[in-house]
Amino acid sequence: MSRTRREFIKAALGGSLVACSGARLPGLCDRSARAATPGKRRDTVLVVVELAGGNDGLNTVVPYSDRQYIESRPTLHLPADKVHKIDSKLGFHPRMDAFMRLYEEGHLSVVQGVGYPNSNRNHEAAARDWHSAAPGDANCQTGWLGRAADEPSRLQGASRLQGASRLKGAVRLDEASVPAAFIGSGKRPFSLHAAKAVVPGISSLDQHVLRTIPNGDGLGGLGLEQAAKAPRPGNPNRLLNFLQQGTLEACAASRRLRAVAQDAKSAGDYPPFHLAKMLRLVARLIRADVGIRIFCTDLGGGDIGGFDNHANQLGNHCALVNQLSESVAAMVDDLKRDNLLDRVLLMTCSEFGRTLAENGRHGTGHGAAAPVFLVGGRLKGGLVGEHPSLKDLDQGAQKVHTDFRRVYATALESWLGMDSRAVLGAQYKPLDVFRA
Amino acid sequence: MPTQTEPGKRAEWPADVLADPNWAWQPFRPDRRRPWNLPWAAHLFRRATFGANWKQLEQALADGPQLTVDRLLKPEADDSTTVAGFNRTSDEFETAAADSIESLRAWWLRRMIQTPHPLLEKMTLFWHGFFAVSNSRVGNARSMCQYVQLLRKHALGPFSPMLEGLVRDPAVLVGLGGEANRKAQPNVALAQNLLEHFILGPGNFSEKDAQEVARAFSGCFVRGGRFRYIQREHDSAEKSILGRKGNFDDRDVVRIVLKQPAAARLVVRRLYRWLINETNEPDDKMIAPLAESFARDLDVARLLGTILRSNLFYSPAAYRQRIKCPVEYALGIVRGLEATVATAPLGRHLAQLGQNLYDPPTMDGWQGGRCWINQFTLLDRSNLALALVSGVKPYEKKLDPAALAARYGHHSPEAAGRFIVDLFLQADLADNVDRIVLEGIKTQAGPDQLRRLVHRVATLPEFHLA
Repeated sequence: MSRTRREFIKAALGGSLVACSGARLPGLCDRSARAATPGKRRDTVLVVVELAGGNDGLNTVVPYSDRQYIESRPTLHLPADKVHKIDSKLGFHPRMDAFMRLYEEGHLSVVQGVGYPNSNRNHEAAARDWHSAAPGDANCQTGWLGRAADEPSRLQGASRLQGASRLKGAVRLDEASVPAAFIGSGKRPFSLHAAKAVVPGISSLDQHVLRTIPNGDGLGGLGLEQAAKAPRPGNPNRLLNFLQQGTLEACAASRRLRAVAQDAKSAGDYPPFHLAKMLRLVARLIRADVGIRIFCTDLGGGDIGGFDNHANQLGNHCALVNQLSESVAAMVDDLKRDNLLDRVLLMTCSEFGRTLAENGRHGTGHGAAAPVFLVGGRLKGGLVGEHPSLKDLDQGAQKVHTDFRRVYATALESWLGMDSRAVLGAQYKPLDVFRA
Repeated sequence: MPTQTEPGKRAEWPADVLADPNWAWQPFRPDRRRPWNLPWAAHLFRRATFGANWKQLEQALADGPQLTVDRLLKPEADDSTTVAGFNRTSDEFETAAADSIESLRAWWLRRMIQTPHPLLEKMTLFWHGFFAVSNSRVGNARSMCQYVQLLRKHALGPFSPMLEGLVRDPAVLVGLGGEANRKAQPNVALAQNLLEHFILGPGNFSEKDAQEVARAFSGCFVRGGRFRYIQREHDSAEKSILGRKGNFDDRDVVRIVLKQPAAARLVVRRLYRWLINETNEPDDKMIAPLAESFARDLDVARLLGTILRSNLFYSPAAYRQRIKCPVEYALGIVRGLEATVATAPLGRHLAQLGQNLYDPPTMDGWQGGRCWINQFTLLDRSNLALALVSGVKPYEKKLDPAALAARYGHHSPEAAGRFIVDLFLQADLADNVDRIVLEGIKTQAGPDQLRRLVHRVATLPEFHLA
């Protein structure tokens, strides 16, 4: 355990260790950063970054030596001498040097050719398909991350409950934990839409910290914990127990959030981008260890996102991929400092790729297959799957060979250790991307 | 029979009494062993309204349960003109505000706070969760406004006219994916959604029934936010729905499905969750007497009356056996303190807590119960309660517990503190908890003393229970 982390836990629990030990929610258990087999451990965290608008995969992972690419994109193609070369065919966008470094360090896997058959090339419908993970079902009312959040017991190992002493009249409290959160303050992606769970939106650390009326008279402090902890003799009400326990958990969570907020060292070193700010918040929430296992945020947010470049794509796209690459790399470095990277898998999602050929306005149209980026401490790293051919196109765009739900299944099953069938409605074969 | 007089003490109640449907739905007659007291009166107001103020509790204590329920269902003559006037004015405000969903939300909350007929608003909220349509799907504030007004109009009335209105309501049709119902392309999704989520529940109709209902709905369209019936798009051939044959249209569908026992059962089960207990699913035996009698007259007010007067309602099977939804949580504080707060920020706060009015998460409404509660919603509830009473922005000094206590003649810190605990929790707290809550109240009287106490009360686990 690193010094920072140990200090932090001390600060967070402080004098109220007694209260906490009687009231641990699964999410609040102290966990070591020791490596274990993904899928078997219960403290892994998934971070989903939505790239809104349809990212141009071809100018992100660039087939720089492919004549077809160069000829189809007279003004948009990225020159071979500028890209960061992965191999003799592919390279990262010139402004993605940070991704190149992560790639070399083995923290980045590029899953190529991801999408789904007969993709709808309308933003709203395609984004809905990715978010619901039920392409074509207009009636689907929930998102894939929301469905995961709806069944917290599926997200939590029974092992976490064992050994934690609890309030008398023990009740199962899986429900009182927060399995998923939206990081940001704008409109949240439909992927987080849950039927039952209340998925919080978090845009700053102190937003949810318990507040009190400033002291100044006889009723100092909250008395909240003391009142929640007090036994209720002769009143076997399970709902009341549930709320007592939940209140104690909430107090503990508040203390942890405050401790991290006050710890300047936990702020890390991030570039001045919105996404970087959000990922820094994610890193601090992971440090605070309040039990959130799924974080979702977006880049280029809004209804039709910043990645949708039908005109003058070059500069816009360049800025966005640079923000993505710099922000993600900053989070990786930050988490590494505290040996937390092994607990984290970050993945990107975008509704579709773009057409191979540029249009007359220096932009591209809505396409099909695109790469998905996986970033984390337990990945094998490297390219996953073939770069889809530029000669064999589907309405002008690269063909899909890997269903996006296989990537979801990888995240849900191999990483979070939950039953992906229950969320995806069918069994999709997880990708072999993690180190043993 | 119970020997204990305290509401929550289940241990004193033989399980077979609580499980006996004959006993359960008989009207509660207070006696020496189970007297009508403050906790029961407050329980009734938490379920039937958004929480009582002190005057209402005193009145209810004097009137007894039966008369109190009568008045909740139907305000007395001199009040009823007030009620009609209030609703008329509110409708006008609401309609004028109907270009934005945020202002609609604010107006509805204001209405819930100020209404002279709170049961009507409470039931409107119930139906909003039952026939759940969300603006994220409808995307038209004006339609959403009309839809909630329709729910309110029929909230306590006979059930059939409500359903007849709903199947031709633009928001409902769009919300269920049924804005176009062509003869050549019957909309099975609409039929499926209506039958499964709104009327019968899953498993009570066949795929074939849904297809035939879709045909019966052909001709129903929403154009420019209005309902349009296009005769030439109606399939007038014979349909076969739930064992009946004929040239049916949408109105006939309502008539036919309401004859299904499953329709009455669905309403009764959901009301049971709303009014009695949301953690234990009742068995069919318990539901049957209510479902059978509701099936006969489809009279919502009578059904509500039966439940709110029943033995089971005044038993440990119901007492503190629900978790307040965010609206109940916040308005319980506001109505108890007898003032109105800014409802636009309140609407946003409630959305953060998981209850965004006009935007329930799915066609099945809000799941409720334990789903309301997690570490973050508890922290946010505490901070909302604090914001409401602390006298700062955005709620300002609208709520003033010390002034309220003084109005009721409680001037010393001790008396005022006791009053607050009685008002919000009817002193129904374990002695040790009571001591913790009132600790320090005697020693000093600061200006924020009572504000702090209300916050303390509102964050007690007991206060989250309805």
